Amino acid sequence: MSKTYQAIVIGAGPAGSSAALTMARAGLDVALVERGTFPGEKNMFGGLLHRMPSLEKIFPDFWERAPLERHIVKKGVTFMTGDSSFSTTIEAGSFDRPPYNGYTVFRPRFDRWLAEEAVAAGATLITRSTVDEVVRKDGRITGVTILGRSGQLSAPVLVAADGVLSFTAQKAGLRKPTFDPAQMAVGVKALIDMPREVIDERFGLVRDQGFANEFVGCTEGVRGGGCFYTNYDSLSLGLVFHLASLRTSGKTPYDLLNAFMEQPQVAKMIRGGKLQEYSAHLIPEGGYDMIPELVGDGIVVAGDAAALCNATGLNLEGINLASHSGIVAGEAVIAAHQANDFSRQGLAVYKKSLEESFVIKDLKQFRKAPHMLHNNRIYQEYPELMCSFMENIYRIEGAPKENVTKLFLKSAKEKVGLGKLLADGFSAWRSL
Amino acid sequence: MNIDEIFDNTSFTIDREPHIVLDATVCVSCDNRGCANSCPARCYTWSEEEQKMTFVHDGCLECGTCYVVCHRNAFTRWRYPRGGFGVAYRMT
Repeated sequence: MSKTYQAIVIGAGPAGSSAALTMARAGLDVALVERGTFPGEKNMFGGLLHRMPSLEKIFPDFWERAPLERHIVKKGVTFMTGDSSFSTTIEAGSFDRPPYNGYTVFRPRFDRWLAEEAVAAGATLITRSTVDEVVRKDGRITGVTILGRSGQLSAPVLVAADGVLSFTAQKAGLRKPTFDPAQMAVGVKALIDMPREVIDERFGLVRDQGFANEFVGCTEGVRGGGCFYTNYDSLSLGLVFHLASLRTSGKTPYDLLNAFMEQPQVAKMIRGGKLQEYSAHLIPEGGYDMIPELVGDGIVVAGDAAALCNATGLNLEGINLASHSGIVAGEAVIAAHQANDFSRQGLAVYKKSLEESFVIKDLKQFRKAPHMLHNNRIYQEYPELMCSFMENIYRIEGAPKENVTKLFLKSAKEKVGLGKLLADGFSAWRSL
Repeated sequence: MNIDEIFDNTSFTIDREPHIVLDATVCVSCDNRGCANSCPARCYTWSEEEQKMTFVHDGCLECGTCYVVCHRNAFTRWRYPRGGFGVAYRMT
């Protein structure tokens, strides 16, 4: 196995396939290397694909063309305790009309489709291939080797889109050799089978409408949260945990997921469903401060590999950032080929374009959000406060009622403490 | 739900050659052993009685949690499985 390409993309996820597609469309001979038996086999996420403006530019008919499930018309947030929950939902008419704001998708289908689009544009997809070493000659990157195989794939430039742990970026000296658990989260998910009509009835949906809900307070005090999404005929129910918090908690992801599924209100949502698949994946949640060197001599880093993930607490965005960074990486490689300059300077336009786009601008704007989200009270005391306050508002005791402010202060004093409440409010306001 | 059932629903093509090799002697003196509770695939088991960490790579979901939480650098090898091996998600 030895072949020479004009560029090698490592990882056929949203970043890698977007990069390969962009370069192939410009006529470059590109290899798209994937360790799974097909693209998407190794990939997992919560389940919600936000709007993809970058791919909409490449495919004006993106939303008809991509293998999508339901479009999200209803979004909710639930503050939860062991036996109570307080939810808010927004259902907007505009969410039910194109351009839709988000869809549920299955990664093994979506990622495979996007890679096939890259192949249709002329890229060479090489599956079942785990990249092992980054090969250098006279200090310059010349290609990669594949684990368990002899020979090498050669190219003057690599796009490292090999995901959150990016060993390619590490071997190229662009990311630090170790990760900080405070900047990482792990997501676990149960995919639950349920007939389409039951989902429609249970969640008040018609046609291809979908429901997405986030949860806080469902992790037994471990920093993290939950999510719930409707697919056509299945439900995705997941939890995300900050690793720095999980590793010292003594609790396990699967026991917490099981407890979440058995929480009385959640149990009703998934009642009668059958577990189809259990999955897990890391999420780079360190934000702007976690971004590695994006460009090196003969290499650019895109997607999760570059920690391009925006976790503000309200939204968790990754695929849209990955895809956009892949496109911009592809454009930088095209320019480098035109100038025949694959040095760090020759590829620097990648970093510059990213900095000018929503990708880095958003990460910069929410730079303090990861820090704010490290406040343990968000994950237990505040959900308890919300539930207890609402419960007190609605409770009929046959005694004269206290006014709402007093009720709130009473719950707040009991659950959080007023000083902390003020400090946390200020911190949240500053970071968002 | 019976926890064991959770793991039975995921498909694998298991490679005989492990992609992760743990030097379990390092774990004996570890002050945290966060891998044992954090691994979503239950690959690490610490026996208090035997003072021994056991690791099996069979059900590994290749998420990297252990790679990140281990602060003792106990791995003599940590890489992804060879192409075509390991976890195979169908519809996640």
